[in-house]
Amino acid sequence: MKLTVSRQALLGALQAVIGVVERRQTMPILANILMQAKDDRLAMTATDIEVELQSGCEAQIGMAGDITVPGRKLFDIVKALPEGAELKLALKGERLSVQSGRSRFSLSTLPAAEFPVIDDIEATQTHELPVDVVHRLLDKTYFAMAQQDVRYYLNGMLMETDGGVIRAVATDGHRLALCQAELGDKNLPSEQVIVPRKGVLELQRMLGDQGSLTVSMGKNHIRIHSGDIRFTSKLIDGRFPDYQRVIPAETGNYMVADRDTLRRALQRAAILSNEKYRGIRLEIRDSGAKIMAHNPEQEEAEEQVEVEYSGEDIEIGFNVTYLLDAIGAVDNESVRISLNDANSSCVITVPDIDQSDAKYVVMPMRL
Amino acid sequence: MTDERAILHVDMDAFYASVEQRDDPELAGQPVLVGGKGQRGVVAAASYEAREFGVRSAMPMREALKRCPKAVCVNPRLDHYRDVSQQVFEVFRSITPEVEGLSLDEAFLDVTASIGLFGDPVSIARRIRADIREATQLTASVGVASNKLVAKIASDLDKPDGLVHVAHGDEAETLAPLSVRALPGIGPRKRAELASAAIHTIGDLQSADADTLRRLFGRYADRVRNRAHGIDDRPVIAVRDDKSISAERTFSEDLKQRSEMCEALAALADRTATRLRNKRLLAGVIQVKIRQSDFRTFTRQCRVMPATDSTEQLYQSALRLLDEWRAEHPDQPLRLLGVGGSRLVSDQQPDLFAAAEPAGDKQVDRTVDAVRERFAELGTAALQSARTLKRDD
Repeated sequence: MKLTVSRQALLGALQAVIGVVERRQTMPILANILMQAKDDRLAMTATDIEVELQSGCEAQIGMAGDITVPGRKLFDIVKALPEGAELKLALKGERLSVQSGRSRFSLSTLPAAEFPVIDDIEATQTHELPVDVVHRLLDKTYFAMAQQDVRYYLNGMLMETDGGVIRAVATDGHRLALCQAELGDKNLPSEQVIVPRKGVLELQRMLGDQGSLTVSMGKNHIRIHSGDIRFTSKLIDGRFPDYQRVIPAETGNYMVADRDTLRRALQRAAILSNEKYRGIRLEIRDSGAKIMAHNPEQEEAEEQVEVEYSGEDIEIGFNVTYLLDAIGAVDNESVRISLNDANSSCVITVPDIDQSDAKYVVMPMRL
Repeated sequence: MTDERAILHVDMDAFYASVEQRDDPELAGQPVLVGGKGQRGVVAAASYEAREFGVRSAMPMREALKRCPKAVCVNPRLDHYRDVSQQVFEVFRSITPEVEGLSLDEAFLDVTASIGLFGDPVSIARRIRADIREATQLTASVGVASNKLVAKIASDLDKPDGLVHVAHGDEAETLAPLSVRALPGIGPRKRAELASAAIHTIGDLQSADADTLRRLFGRYADRVRNRAHGIDDRPVIAVRDDKSISAERTFSEDLKQRSEMCEALAALADRTATRLRNKRLLAGVIQVKIRQSDFRTFTRQCRVMPATDSTEQLYQSALRLLDEWRAEHPDQPLRLLGVGGSRLVSDQQPDLFAAAEPAGDKQVDRTVDAVRERFAELGTAALQSARTLKRDD
């Protein structure tokens, strides 16, 4: 293998994949990046077995070839070279020589054949989707994913297609976030997959805001092509709980408040809530809402917020973090909280619930 | 998980025997066996002088005396050892609250947060050894590493009175030349199986291909591969005594069969879970307490997410911990078992899916609680899981 490539192009390609190179890897080769030089293009692949990222850049290929080199080291070298630099890469025996100006490096290698690439995911369906739509689905729901939950199928995000709708759902068992998008005239088959948490976070990092991407679904993998980047993730093999069942039916009992006012009041009250349970008490009457918090030191916070509310008086407790996450994700000047009673979950949306593409369900705390 | 941790495994050298040698200068330098002298006595601890004759703890006393006839036999003084152990644990807690005791003479310490205060992990280890010596005139061996597994293996590499540091990044290399027996959970039977696959050292395990591992270890193959590479992300679980709920039972006759242990564990899990539910608490850590017939006592714990008050889950976790311990200590009769829950959280935050997920378990727990409330004078005997009943009951 022998090639010439600009620092800028190589750095861009490395940056796109370096996130999945593991620092503590079980197999030494997972610390490496697979480089494949062919047809004026240098492809770079990194994997942690669960998530694989592939990127590439233009290069002048003197001799085609495949090899793997330590990913972090190559990345650090390329990053530290001066802007505008050009690199000559050549495989000499079992070493990869990297030369740029007066700098020379010789990197260890491992054979490309040992690198675990997910070649064919045996896709059963492929769709083209707008990047901004997918990005929004992730941004509006990722925070509700569970972390290291024994219910392993919650440590990820449910992606669901159904006719003209694509939907993302995440839940840690205490709250649930759902966001969906209409895809116009598309008619997609009903399909559910669970993308692991790490895959979701990498995907969020990689997606831009423009253009379109291609999603392919296999039995065990999801693959997304976006621009120059190919993302592949194993799917969580499990059944996501029936989330529809925990979204309460509309009762007509709801309050509407200015989003920022409510958010700031909650943030202030949170300071004196119990650090561990983060509980706050919400008293809602037609005259307004009162937020109260106290901690084991008996310090207290009380906030009054103007709200529109015409239902019965209600007193209900919540983990303030869950409320803040949900209210923060509603992009509207006002926010609506639909309630039933002190023991039932609430639904947070924009005021016009029919216009709402995102829904947040939060389970109350017992006070 | 890029955060590097600093974990210490501190193991007192021949603890009981060393305490006896310290207290009675005439025993210094002599082969000393601590344990009952009767026909059924076993060795609870052997001094290093006795170990040279091939004596090991848990060996029948008769066998030990055959190998080392000159040995001095001493009756165990458990209360005394407990007092000395407390001095040792005070040294640990002067460095960090993150102390996970495994028995009177052995603990894991997570000193990651103490580095700013006391210097690098190796300096901390030196300090602990010096402080223990000053407080008790006893020696301890310490392993310093980035995780529990490697720290524990390291503390054994230069025993007694040793200090071994395995730098982060060197784990796999350090483990490679060691026999597979150094890995916890690989008993004699598994070792024979491995030997027939030409796997003798941990290095052999590291380079074994995925299919071989799967054939040998089934669904644990990934974990074994990780362990062989010295990778272990189990947290150090500090158990704070004041905030735990537990139940334990001493048996009139030592338990030898796993089935008997299961019965006992099920009853204990039931008692603990019932207490949790009565106090409206959920346990985030489940622990078992295990006492051998020679009175050596161990605790093992694991985290559970989400926290639980379910009888079934307490039982399953406790059983798994006991099975893991038994893999390290095969064929040990048990005098006492305990099941406890700690890291208690209030059950204030109900789960969205709680009604659905382990619905059966929850329903059973509720029904059992209701029946017992009604027949309160009978206690847990009012209604018991068949699992806790002996066949002839």
